[in-house]
Amino acid sequence: MFAAENGLKGDPRLQGISEAIRVVPHFPKPGIMFQDITTLLLDHKAFKDTVDIFVDRYRDMDISVVAGVEARGFMFGPAIALAIGAKFVPLRKPRKLPGKVISEAYELEYGTDCLEMHVGAVKPGERAIVIDDLVATGGTLSAAIRLLERSEAEVVECACVIGLREVKGQLRIAVNYRSLSMKMLRHRLT
Amino acid sequence: MMRGSLLPRCSNSIFPPPPNSNRLQPPSLKRLSAPTAASSGAQSRLTFSQNYRTAPNRLRCSVSESQWKQDREMATGDEQQDPRIAGISSAIRVIPNFPKPGIMFQDITTMLLDTKAFKDTIDLFVERYRDKNISVVAGVEARGKPNKLPGEVISEEYSLEYGTDKMEMHVGAVEAGERALVIDDLIATGGTLCAAVKLLERVGVNVVECACVIELLGLKGRERLGDRPLFVLVNAT
Repeated sequence: MFAAENGLKGDPRLQGISEAIRVVPHFPKPGIMFQDITTLLLDHKAFKDTVDIFVDRYRDMDISVVAGVEARGFMFGPAIALAIGAKFVPLRKPRKLPGKVISEAYELEYGTDCLEMHVGAVKPGERAIVIDDLVATGGTLSAAIRLLERSEAEVVECACVIGLREVKGQLRIAVNYRSLSMKMLRHRLT
Repeated sequence: MMRGSLLPRCSNSIFPPPPNSNRLQPPSLKRLSAPTAASSGAQSRLTFSQNYRTAPNRLRCSVSESQWKQDREMATGDEQQDPRIAGISSAIRVIPNFPKPGIMFQDITTMLLDTKAFKDTIDLFVERYRDKNISVVAGVEARGKPNKLPGEVISEEYSLEYGTDKMEMHVGAVEAGERALVIDDLIATGGTLCAAVKLLERVGVNVVECACVIELLGLKGRERLGDRPLFVLVNAT
């Protein structure tokens, strides 16, 4: 699940990636240690390495769809899509996408939210990956998977820069965390 | 670091030009107009369809075809329209009356599904900017709202058709003296782009150019940017 378990242990790029992410305490509300990937985007090498690790993994897997979850999935997804020759499909909050969409609701801590995808963006039988910056409970990713499966695409894998180990989530299928073991260690110490 | 020449100004002020070695061609020479897809002599009509593949985008063209041909000849001068533009243009679909009646929404998500058009779009920008010493690409969030970025930010308010909105940037994301591009999918009135430019200029960044895939003509976006260069791939009305 985590990068270390996927044969990337010791990949020299992971440390730089981990260190480029900053934690902002009490955002968006008290008690939440927010994993801010925008600092990673400012570090050209770390940003490129992040994209390269995903591209190296997916380029020969016949992926034709990269679906990115709004909004931080948009910061990594298109670069990966371009590099592997796949299309990029944004999965958005309600009423952002024009034209005909399908919607999938998912649970939040309090209440529900909704993810939408364009009708016709994905064809039956296409092989897809879902990208987001971070996975916590897996609720958003599960909704993303359902949207793609409703369009009869095959979700090959979910890929995230960060996996929050200490949050136990119910995931419909096994998802692959591209996690940063170094990052998690730091997290626990602060 | 020098920042005296880069204090925020209204859109009518004149900015000192960048050093010649980094100077870009005036955008008016490089502005690439899109031919209307499948134009057959008659003024093209707008069609809309939910089917991505069978209804190519027809950018509504308010000029007659002879005028369009003339404009195209003027644009060619010593610049041919890049052959990739037609494919990019036809990959963009128009959704009428979104998000509200009367607005013809230029939907670039269909272009993201066309791997060639998407790649060509990026390539056109990359080719233009790769040797220009740009260290920052600032991307604008569509209909962005405040309170999304964690940590310390600076804000810039800007006008909407009704009311105002606020755009934010992280403190410390950029340094005075850096050379930046501002990217958005589309320029209409230019309000959003202007706010983005001001955010950067307030911290002493040199905004070398604004780059958009689409320019909506007739809304004076280019004017609102004043002397700040604007580069677009496709025009629409």
